Amino acid sequence: MIGDGDKSYVLFPLGEKRFALPAEAVTELARPDSLQTFPHCTPLLAGVLVRRGRIVPVCDVAQVLIGPGAPPRKFYLIANCKSESGQELTAVPVTGECKLASAACVPLTGKEPHYISGLLAIGNETVEIVALEKLMSMEAPA
Amino acid sequence: MKALKRQSMLPPPQAHEDVIVFAVGGFKFAIAAGAVKEIRSMEGLHGFTLGGISAQIAKLTHTLERSGTTYFVVDAAMHFLLPPSRPSRVLILRNVPTGVLVDSTDRIMEITTLHALPRAFTHEERGWYRGLAVVNGAVMPVVNHNAFLNKAELEVLRAGLERVRGVVTV
Repeated sequence: MIGDGDKSYVLFPLGEKRFALPAEAVTELARPDSLQTFPHCTPLLAGVLVRRGRIVPVCDVAQVLIGPGAPPRKFYLIANCKSESGQELTAVPVTGECKLASAACVPLTGKEPHYISGLLAIGNETVEIVALEKLMSMEAPA
Repeated sequence: MKALKRQSMLPPPQAHEDVIVFAVGGFKFAIAAGAVKEIRSMEGLHGFTLGGISAQIAKLTHTLERSGTTYFVVDAAMHFLLPPSRPSRVLILRNVPTGVLVDSTDRIMEITTLHALPRAFTHEERGWYRGLAVVNGAVMPVVNHNAFLNKAELEVLRAGLERVRGVVTV
């Protein structure tokens, strides 16, 4: 049931936890393509994918969201990432299938990292909404 | 999941350009063919040591005297912050007194599209690369040849060599 004020989110798994991105930002869930790498220094970027003639950076957010022990990533969630300098598609490796859900945001507790923009209460589960652009702007954990 | 309808990103512009493909540390790169004056062996290289400058520009490992010009030779692996590699060729750049040590050169080919480096890349690589080319499905960075030694570094080198030698022609 969709209540007033509910918005759609794509829930994606990283290991045992699920996180959310606003559905309007997500363009597709892609099978693993060949990740391509070249020398660079930007933290969290694992490389790029070529999707329909476009080059899409791959941002491995699992390093920050659940730490280094994340299980192998199975799919790429491709989302539109907006920043001050514009917007571009970004691929986020996820560890399982994603789900579309509608839910209302619940207030942040104030203890969340700055890259968490909201919380969703889905059954007994609290799912953190990820602000991808803020996450990408941070340095990788040591 | 709906496809995003408001897709503001335009396809990359068409650009035909001849590039030389070279390898460093297991990665392939492309450089504008017009930026390269000569590809040569490592014969004639001299180790570079010049007081504090050597420490300041650690990637500058050799010099090469050629037709009255001193070329400052940069180790591409160090430039791209890669582990030490096994260089066997020097790319002598055109219009600048810069040489680049690379592991090997592959071929000259034409690229038809230069993709902008995605904005997600925010560190040194923004200066290293002019963009990305896709060759048979493989992504290859197209290097910014002016970044191997920038103007400020060349000025420091010129001044340093002049102090040591009195006069140097570059």
